[in-house]
Amino acid sequence: MKTTSGWERLRAWFLLPAWIWMAVLFAAPFAIVVIYSLLTRGAYGGLGLPWTAENYQRLLDPLYLGIVLRSFAMAAAATAICLLLGFPLALFISRAGSHKNIYLQLVILPFWTSFLVRLYAWLFLLRDTGLINTALQHLGLIHDPLPLLYNDGAVLLGLVYGYLPFMVLPVYATLERLDPALVEAAADLGSKPWPTLLHVILPLSAPGVRAGSILVFIPALGAYLTPDLLGGGRTVLIGNLVQNQFTTARDWPFGASISVGLMALVGVLVLLMLRSEREGLV
Amino acid sequence: MKRWLGLYAAAVYCFLHLPLVILAVFSFNSSRFTVWQGFSLHWYLAIFQDRQLGESAWNSVIVAVAATILSTAAGTLCAYGLWKRGSTLLSGSLYLSLVTPEIVMGISLLALFQWSFRWLHWRMGLHTVILAHVAFSIAYVVIVIAARLRTFSPALEEAALDLGATEWQAFRFVTLPALLPGIVAAALLALTVSFDDYVITSMVAGVDSETLPMVIYAMARRGASPVINAISALIVVVFGALVLISERVRES
Amino acid sequence: MGVAGLAGCARGRPRLNVYNWSNYVAPDTIANFEAEFGVRVRYATYESNEEMLAKVLSGNSGWDVVFPTHNRIQPMRQYGLLARLDHARLPNLPNLEARFQSPPWDPRLEYCVPYMWGATGIAYNRSVAPPPAAWADLWSARFKSRLTMLDDPEEVLGACLLKLRLSYNSTDDASLRRAEHEAIAQKPLLRAYLNAEFRDQLVAGDILVAHSWATTAQQAIDAAPQLAFAYPAEGFPLYGDNAVVLRESGRAELAHAFVNYLLRAPVAAAIVQTSRTATANGAAQALLPEALRSNTTLFPSAETLARGQWIATMPGATQRLRDRMWTEIKSA
Repeated sequence: MKTTSGWERLRAWFLLPAWIWMAVLFAAPFAIVVIYSLLTRGAYGGLGLPWTAENYQRLLDPLYLGIVLRSFAMAAAATAICLLLGFPLALFISRAGSHKNIYLQLVILPFWTSFLVRLYAWLFLLRDTGLINTALQHLGLIHDPLPLLYNDGAVLLGLVYGYLPFMVLPVYATLERLDPALVEAAADLGSKPWPTLLHVILPLSAPGVRAGSILVFIPALGAYLTPDLLGGGRTVLIGNLVQNQFTTARDWPFGASISVGLMALVGVLVLLMLRSEREGLV
Repeated sequence: MKRWLGLYAAAVYCFLHLPLVILAVFSFNSSRFTVWQGFSLHWYLAIFQDRQLGESAWNSVIVAVAATILSTAAGTLCAYGLWKRGSTLLSGSLYLSLVTPEIVMGISLLALFQWSFRWLHWRMGLHTVILAHVAFSIAYVVIVIAARLRTFSPALEEAALDLGATEWQAFRFVTLPALLPGIVAAALLALTVSFDDYVITSMVAGVDSETLPMVIYAMARRGASPVINAISALIVVVFGALVLISERVRES
Repeated sequence: MGVAGLAGCARGRPRLNVYNWSNYVAPDTIANFEAEFGVRVRYATYESNEEMLAKVLSGNSGWDVVFPTHNRIQPMRQYGLLARLDHARLPNLPNLEARFQSPPWDPRLEYCVPYMWGATGIAYNRSVAPPPAAWADLWSARFKSRLTMLDDPEEVLGACLLKLRLSYNSTDDASLRRAEHEAIAQKPLLRAYLNAEFRDQLVAGDILVAHSWATTAQQAIDAAPQLAFAYPAEGFPLYGDNAVVLRESGRAELAHAFVNYLLRAPVAAAIVQTSRTATANGAAQALLPEALRSNTTLFPSAETLARGQWIATMPGATQRLRDRMWTEIKSA
């Protein structure tokens, strides 16, 4: 992208707030986390000297690597499902004409209520004596209640439920910009709806899809409330592990090293993704 | 195709709103437990008798609005600047802020505030909550706006320059209006993320800066009292009404 | 810093900031205190000691009175967080039960005042026959998938240790390894590890047996009389939550007044009635209705109580081992 000095000046000014913000509210805290990760757990929890790299060595233990792997798999699955569910919805909203805003708000509306409270609602829905099982039993479709809760499936459901808007909004933002003339042109050239979708709409919406995937995958990696509540504490994902270190276990240095490790890992992945695209995501 | 899309959208909306319906139904339950025991409005009455709820709701609104304005403004400008010419460092740190688990962000911000406030003799309060909220929502705004900018052709700005506009005018009158739907979407995202945040907020909140999620979480974790169902139902109704009203205003 | 006389002060009433566990006061406890003393109380709640400690450890949190569990008192003292209590300002101290007048964690009550106490045991549905009476019963295949344990490493490993007839507070590596083994063996029988949600599920009938605190069990029993609570035969852990005044507080006098107020028999009795917790206040127990006073879930008999063990403060090395074991159990 060609820039002239006029643009450079504008750009410098525009980036200034973000630079300041990231420096003070992210870089500084991040530095603190790194410092924490090199310290030792105090006698009653908290922090203390000596300086040590031991917390990073602990990460290489197969127990923790297994947790990392499982978390990645779960987050990837959640992202894929969010994409499958969210893309058609975003498409629908972008074509909804004058009612676009209302439909957009309807996506967001549930998220104005507390996330925890909605999770509890899901608990009620999925329990053995919950609504779904009771309804199915009344209809005579099943005899014994289905184990809908406290397993990986329930966690996945919760993750998808919690992160769907993060996929829908960026994809909508891109699709909204899509020139309907392109779609018409394809139709004029004899393309049916499905091929048009695959070969015209989908590629053009790629930036939105990438953005949405990032906005779902990354937070899903660190999720802890959903696996905790809907998973019944039966499995440990990275989010639970970190949460545990900073609360019950009171091993802040180890919790910090896990976080740094996670951030490094995802950082590398994102870097690779950026390199493989011609243009960056941001 | 349009018909299928419409049906599909309806199904997804049901999925998204089903828990809300459950909440609403149980907000009228006379029993504390999730076993229906009769119709009652006393949970709604309880809301208005709770001073803490009112204060925390107000705090939440202040924080969410302030944080959204700040992060949307900074984030939009940032996305635009990065579109002109990227910066690996800035992009990298924005990504990293997304990856950071909430508890880590909360603890690190708490540590930062506690350390710096030692010299400044400040206490935690709404200001620290707002700062923290901007910290984690900027990345969302940048990513949404950047995605929209991907589909924007720089030729339009070049044309404006050719016609004698300054760079700032080109941005202000050509790009910015085109970005508006994206900015609205990003602002909505930031607002939602901020309004519902619990973990980070609870860490950096001061004694006087309880937000609604903090109060609700406290109530929920000790046994989901129907009061929070009632609150949630009320919130949905209020915001739903606001949305409808704003749509009417926009159309007229 | 006079208290009652400032009711009409132009700058606003004096403030007190209290940070407590949830469900530890009656609906009107705070309001009555505010009215009587002409002050305004900022009252907030937390769900775990760590949540409270994260704020308080900075020494500049803004809170005046907090309520740590007894095994956190010594660490808090070592970090210099606690203010020495002035007994002259706590004339209601004699209201405490005899055993709480000199508890093992603070024999002279220099830093804390016992507030509420409790134990962990087994909550169950009476339809289960024979009823569970020992930790060992929680490994029975007949409860498969209708059983929950607490989501707390200390409690779970503790239950396993007690099942093996070892001490709840054991720091011995070999013993802990055996306990971990038991926990992993039990996992297939479990529905989930739950701290709070099991109460609703017991009431609704989703689960039949739950590892539970006595107070939570009592709340469930109130809603569903077919439920009951058992203090396991092998022994059980005891915890006590205490009121402390933070050293950083500039309102020590008012803080003492508040703690003294909580020590009043009628106040403590009212709290027990709504929160269903066992108070350390002996005088209050006498004011309770017969049904509550003789409630064996909240106030077990002396011989039952003799099987109980106060939870000890865990040394750092053991803490790390237990934490790793907890991760292994959860990942199993």
